[in-house]
This record gives sequence, C-alpha cells and structure tokens, in this order.
Amino acid sequence: MPLAREGVCDMPVRNDAEIRKDRLRFTKNKLSANLIIFAIVANALYFVSIYSSDVGSYYYKLFIGGSIVYNLVFMLAAFLSSEGIKNYKLGYACSSVVLGILQICRIFYIPMKAHKAANPVADAKNATVMGSGQFRYVSFCLIVSAVLLIAAGIIGFMKTTTLNSYLAELERKGQEGTDDE
Amino acid sequence: MSDLKLQHLEKIYDNKVQAVYDFDLDVKDGELIVLVGPSGCGKSTTLRMVAGLEDISKGKFIIDGKDVTRMPPKDRDIAMVFQNYALYSHMTIYENMAFSLMLRKENKNEIHQKVLAAAEILDLTSQLNKKPGQLSGGQRQRVAMGRAIVRRPKVFLFDEPLSNLDAKLRSATRREILLLHKRLNATMLYVTHDQTEALTLADRIVCMSMGHVQQIGTPLELYDTPANLFVASFIGLPPMNLFDVEISDGQAINSDFAVDLTAEEKERLAPYEGKVVTMGVRPENVVERGNITVNVFSNENLGLNTLVNGTTGKHKITCKFRGWCNYKAGDEVKVSFDRKHFFDKETTNAIR
Repeated sequence: MPLAREGVCDMPVRNDAEIRKDRLRFTKNKLSANLIIFAIVANALYFVSIYSSDVGSYYYKLFIGGSIVYNLVFMLAAFLSSEGIKNYKLGYACSSVVLGILQICRIFYIPMKAHKAANPVADAKNATVMGSGQFRYVSFCLIVSAVLLIAAGIIGFMKTTTLNSYLAELERKGQEGTDDE
Repeated sequence: MSDLKLQHLEKIYDNKVQAVYDFDLDVKDGELIVLVGPSGCGKSTTLRMVAGLEDISKGKFIIDGKDVTRMPPKDRDIAMVFQNYALYSHMTIYENMAFSLMLRKENKNEIHQKVLAAAEILDLTSQLNKKPGQLSGGQRQRVAMGRAIVRRPKVFLFDEPLSNLDAKLRSATRREILLLHKRLNATMLYVTHDQTEALTLADRIVCMSMGHVQQIGTPLELYDTPANLFVASFIGLPPMNLFDVEISDGQAINSDFAVDLTAEEKERLAPYEGKVVTMGVRPENVVERGNITVNVFSNENLGLNTLVNGTTGKHKITCKFRGWCNYKAGDEVKVSFDRKHFFDKETTNAIR
C-alpha cells in the first residue's frame, strides 16, 4: 500500500483516555439511556403483577388510582430522563437518581402494606393481600428498576461532567491558540 | 498494492439479455479509471460486477493477483459510493461514517480517529453531529465518500456520484474527488455518463456502448484520436459535426462543399479514392474564415466562446468561435475546417 494512503488516516498521537473523552463529543450516552429503558420495563413488570393479583377491596379503596397515576408519571419522567441523559444533560442525570430512590421508597408503600394487610375476600384466615412470593417478586422488580436508574444517573453524571470539562479545556486551548496568534 | 485485472468479463442475465461483452481491462495501482457511455451501455453493470453486487457470467476478476470472481462483496475489500448517497437518515454523520467499522467490531478509539481523519480530509468536521437531512447534496455525497475512506479499501467504486447535484456543486465536488484521488493515491473506478467528468477526472477513460468497450485511452487520446464514430460523437461538447463526403482528386466533396485534403490526409485516404467516408469536424476546429458558407440560425454567447448553429445547404453544423459574436438568424458566415477526422462508412472505425 502506498505511503500516501497510509498517511491519510494518521492522527496526532493521543492517549486512549483523551480519545475516549473526545469520542463523547460525537457519540450519545446510549448506555445510560438504555439502562433507563430497562428500568421502565422492570417497573412495568412490577405494576402488571400488582394489578393482576386478587387485591380485594382494600386496594381499590386506597391505592390503585394513585398507583396508576404515579406509574404513568414515572414512565413519562423516566423516558424524558432517558432522552435527556442521552444528550448529556446534567439535570436529567440527577432526575434519574431521584427516580431510582423513589422506586426504593415504593417498596415500603404498596408492596409492604399489601403484604402486611389482611385480605377480606380471601377464604383462608390470616391471608394477606399480597403473598410472600408475589411480594418478593414485585420488590425485586422495583429494586432492579431502582438500581438501573441510579446506575444510569451516576454514569450519565460522570460522562456529562467529563464531557463538559473536556469541552471547556478545548475552548481554553482554542482561546490560547488565538491569543498566541 | 491494488492492481485490478478484469479479464474478458461478460454479463448475461437469466433472460439471456447480455449487458456486457468481453470487458478486458488492467488497472494499475492508484489509477483513476472512468467508465463513460450513454444510459444502458453496461457501465454500471460492470461496476456492480466488480463490487460483487452482480454475478460475473464469464471471465475473471483479479485483485492483486488474487481471483475474487466468486468472492462475496464483503470479502473483496472494495468500497462503493452510490448516486443516491445511501446514508442512514436516523444516524448522525459520525455514526454513518463509523458504522461499517463498528460492524467489523474494530476498536472504538481507532474508529474515532479514522472518522475524524476522514472528516478532516472532506471538511466535514463541523457537521459530524448533524443528521444527513440537515446537509446539502454535496455534503451528503462527501459523507458517502467519507464512509468509503474510513474503511481504507483496496478499490473505490463511484457509481455516478454527482448526478444528483446541481451544476455548480457538481463542478466543486468533482474537484474534491480529484484532490481526494491525488491525496489517497487509491485505485478508483468511476462511472458516469457525463463526458466532462470523464475528461477532467480520468487517468484513463473506458468508453462503452451497447455493452461493448469502444475505446480505452487517456482523455486526450479519446478526444484527439477517437477510435470510431461512436467515440468521436460521444466525446466532445458540443458533439463533433459529421458529414458524408466522397474522396475524389485530393478533396472531400459533398453536395454543399468541397474541402481540400492535406498531403497526409491524401495519403491516408488513398484506399478510399472514389468512395464515401464520414468526415468529422469538431466545432472548435471550424475557423471563421474560408469558402464554406454557413447560414446561421442561432448564436449562443458563452462568454469566452460563441456557439454558432447553422446549415451548409442540407447539413447542420455547429461552430465554436473564440470571443463574443453577434450573428443573427439568416446571417451568412464563411468558414473552413482546420482539423478533420475520417471514418470508414461501413465499419465506422477511424481511418488511420
């Protein structure tokens, strides 16, 4: 192969860390965005489980309406976070972490209460609205969803700050170059 | 090195239609070959056979001494740039250029450097975060070229890459392709029906018609010494004026004029004494003085030159005069021919 052709794609030698930073300028944060999408899926598994169970009148009276509204808001907020974090918006990284913390809090709300509450429509004495198996399953879904959201937020935060400082550095170098001229 | 040998390639479709006949060409490393011809002459089919997008019915295709006739396209190490760009509209320019390398699972940092280097060459660095829809036609075509460059293929194929661009952009992009070729020193096959592109870009031109190669040569060879009537009439803008003339007593005679032959022409045309041949005169070889009368019917000023269309009795003629002329329809101009080409009437081959 002629030397001229090989030389075409030669770049100034830079270390891997710097190239990784430079790549952020042209690539989106798909990792964080995809983690949030998986978190939404985990949340969907959670609410499908609680809505399909025999919840009796207890839930209908107290929680189901609010739960549906919260899930809708959660999915919208999570999706917006996914799109924002993909484009390295710092605020959306924070919102993703907040949503993750809220998912953990939810374990102590419907699943925990339903697990402890007696089911008035169940035949067996001392039967709870939510059995142990289902409680473990929905808790697991919420924990997975929370972990994914928090991880996405932390990764997004780190990448965004890295990118911002790299861009600032580039700008500073550019200005220095202009000053030199 | 990337020498190509296209040995007696033929393309016969399942319905027995033959698109390419006996295409034989050796391409040297770093050469830019332009396949030129009218629509349907088989130039794109030939290119597609080289790319592996069409099966080769007969013949052999060899790259660097290796027979790749039956090799699938992905293994040939050839990059193709299409007329319609073929960019992924949902991806950014960066992603479009990096996509083929990502599919090969190359190191992401290396991909990044290759993409940036290609973007730098093509002046696309500031466009890397945009989507193809936000770019002009010329920029999109440069992205398509960039996608080819990052792969560092053995051979670049261009299938009418400038056809979708307007005249100004076409000329600018043509210059960019020429610079790119000089910079990369890569082997390139370029298909076009535009003879201007062919003449300005090519190291050598392959002129095709009806699936047959008519002539292979440098742009100057094709322009100056066309092998046959087809090449003579296809290369050159405006096309060559053609007249049927009888060779008699050192003159080329038809019903409208008689032209004296030079000593060299007389010697060359001696076997045709008393016979009818085709005489070709390029518009730029018509001189604004002499004894042939042209009745003007249109005058087109192009700035540096003027195209004067008219008739010499029964025959139409186009003259390209230097400077600004102001002939009006009905005017008469006296002209002569300072360079003539002669072709055998039956074989249509040039008489040499």
